[in-house]
Amino acid sequence: MNKERMVSYNGRGLIIAISFILLTILSINNAAAANATTCCEKTQSGLFCQNVPAEECDSAFRMTPSSCDSTSFCKPGVCYDSSSGDCMRNTPKIACNNANGTWTEIIPDSCSLGCCILGDQAAFVSLVKCKRLSAMMGLLTNYNKQIKDETSCVLSVLSQDKGACVYESEYEKTCKFTTRAECGTTKSDNSSKATFYVNKLCTASELGTICGRTRDTMCLAGKDEVYFKDSCGNSANIFDSSKYEDIDYWTNVKTKTESCNSGSNNAGSGSCGNCNYLLGSFCRTERGKSTCADLNCKNTQNGNSYKHGESWCVYNDAGTTGKGNTAVGARFYKHICINGEEVLEQCADFKQEECIEDKITTTLGTFSQAACRVNRWQDCTVQTSKADCENSDKRDCFWKTGTSIGNSTSDGVCLPKNSPGLKFWEGEEAQSICAQGNAKCVVTFEKGLFSGEECKENCECLTADWAKQRNDICMSLGDCGAKINWVGDKGYKIGYEVTTVG
Amino acid sequence: MENRGKRAQLAIFMIIAIAIVAIVLIIAFYPKIKILVTGEFAPESYLKTCIKPEISSIMLILNKQGGYANPEGFLVYNIDGNEEKIKFLCYTSEYYKTCTVQEPFIMKRYALEIQKVIEQKASQCFSDLKKQYESRGYSVTGTLRDIKVDIDLKGIKVSFNSPIAITKESTERFDNFDVFIDSKMYEILSISQSIVEYEATYGDSETTAYLQYYPDLKIEKTKLSDGTKVYRVSNVITKEEFIFASRSLSWPPGYGVLT
Repeated sequence: MNKERMVSYNGRGLIIAISFILLTILSINNAAAANATTCCEKTQSGLFCQNVPAEECDSAFRMTPSSCDSTSFCKPGVCYDSSSGDCMRNTPKIACNNANGTWTEIIPDSCSLGCCILGDQAAFVSLVKCKRLSAMMGLLTNYNKQIKDETSCVLSVLSQDKGACVYESEYEKTCKFTTRAECGTTKSDNSSKATFYVNKLCTASELGTICGRTRDTMCLAGKDEVYFKDSCGNSANIFDSSKYEDIDYWTNVKTKTESCNSGSNNAGSGSCGNCNYLLGSFCRTERGKSTCADLNCKNTQNGNSYKHGESWCVYNDAGTTGKGNTAVGARFYKHICINGEEVLEQCADFKQEECIEDKITTTLGTFSQAACRVNRWQDCTVQTSKADCENSDKRDCFWKTGTSIGNSTSDGVCLPKNSPGLKFWEGEEAQSICAQGNAKCVVTFEKGLFSGEECKENCECLTADWAKQRNDICMSLGDCGAKINWVGDKGYKIGYEVTTVG
Repeated sequence: MENRGKRAQLAIFMIIAIAIVAIVLIIAFYPKIKILVTGEFAPESYLKTCIKPEISSIMLILNKQGGYANPEGFLVYNIDGNEEKIKFLCYTSEYYKTCTVQEPFIMKRYALEIQKVIEQKASQCFSDLKKQYESRGYSVTGTLRDIKVDIDLKGIKVSFNSPIAITKESTERFDNFDVFIDSKMYEILSISQSIVEYEATYGDSETTAYLQYYPDLKIEKTKLSDGTKVYRVSNVITKEEFIFASRSLSWPPGYGVLT
């Protein structure tokens, strides 16, 4: 005589599973109805062009029961400011008008970018912006719209000739260390043009100017290094205390590699000002003294040292990552080294983002870079093959063999590597996601004529191991099952239920 | 002997009291005292000393409130122990969508807000300036028409559009006075504008990308549970900072279909 007993994990079997599916469908419909939104030109809280429930709209402004993208008044466009030359995309008309800008649906010509040369610096901006920047710096506008990207723009100024620009002022032969182009616009008091000496310093004795060497140092805008300063206030070569008496060092321009300790960052050095931003040092002036400031971070939270600008991932919470058992309330963090300070940046809450990290190897050493990236867990459980499951181009899942979800006959199950966080304390979504972990196991017993029952089929479902395996699946699905929270505490309840029916 | 000691003690207390009063008076009437001591009178310097405290105080508010003195559409957030109203410069109430720009020209707005707040004080400073001239025997004709605040690479410029004629033995004419206050807000606001553009276009911004070109810059991004981001852009040298909020491309907990 055979008797079947149903062992159900955390549920009442098939009927309950079907109920969940129906509930999900109904809830989606209800949610859609409840979420019916109106496009408000302005909300009561003062925000422009938001899709919100109609009662949140400011009645003094326009509103329509459709998405803002399809309305004429909230369609995003380009906002242009003719006084500054600034252009802002994705701006609704009302926000643009409010800022006294000119709104257009397509990008106007005045927003096209070009290379603005500002002495030995450059900016990739619009023509109007270039004119404004040039005026601020007291320079003539030098704009090249043929240069189409920022990198080429920056490189174009690095290749400019620099040298001594000699001219007469107040009956004296003076000098300005500048670019050839800027020297071309400089005139002497007697209106004669200034003379440009490429790669020469103003202190070169052969030029016969009034500019002489000093022990003073200075930082230059856009330059890493500390420079010697001449008596006319011009920059000379990179500060090197051993070269103060060297005539050649005060005559000809020396490159960075020709200067002191070029392979090092020279942070805090009192004798060499050859700072290197990529190695973590930069010229800073404090109490009138310029030195190479150390920007690197030493002995950070994880015990390692990092260069300025490097970023790395940190997971400090309880539980593990990447194995489908991330703790409730846990979060990924990206840490960044900025100016000698370790700054942290959270990835999105509810584990909707995870932190990824890699290292670049350069001639100056390795450089760590991290980023918060979307956790692609959503379609893990519908994958039926290991290859699809572990396709890292598409999703962040892992394949667990020897088990299955629900009553699937597959030999494995695809689960999120980092289980998503759920708002289990409100709504019904957490229940419906966790319910995917419900399973039913039919155990067959045989009853002897005189003896008791004997298990014949699926007997493993009666063991603690089976319950643990089901719990592991449940925990991987989200904040479900017998999980710990981010500080390592267990819940007040066991987190699952094994019910024996029949 | 005892009396002499007491008198000496009293004298010391008197000296300290006079010194404290003198310091307070110097702080309160610095520009006027400077004029009295040096005898020279620079109108721009006078206006700068008069208007600077007003500008500094409004800048502190604007810097913590996303560039608005009285923001609408803000996030209430704790900054250094105080609840601040941080303006959303880009916002969407929805999930999975990039934000809608709320303020396209942050720099322009910032200058305008300063201008609005200091207008009254500027007028008062200008009247005081005229009185200063008159007290020195000058006759002054002309009024303050308006002021204009502009932010550039070196700082905050306040232009007093005030064509005036100052007459004593001869007449000196001024069309306007420019007051300049050192600040690195131009760079900070430009970066903030760029971050808003990234938020509106891509839904997020990569803060480390700015470090390559701006060594003195520090950007802190705090992500809140609902997807709101609070940005704190500062200059590590001048310690000036600008705080604003954005909500773009947020992800709901779970699938986000059931509530």
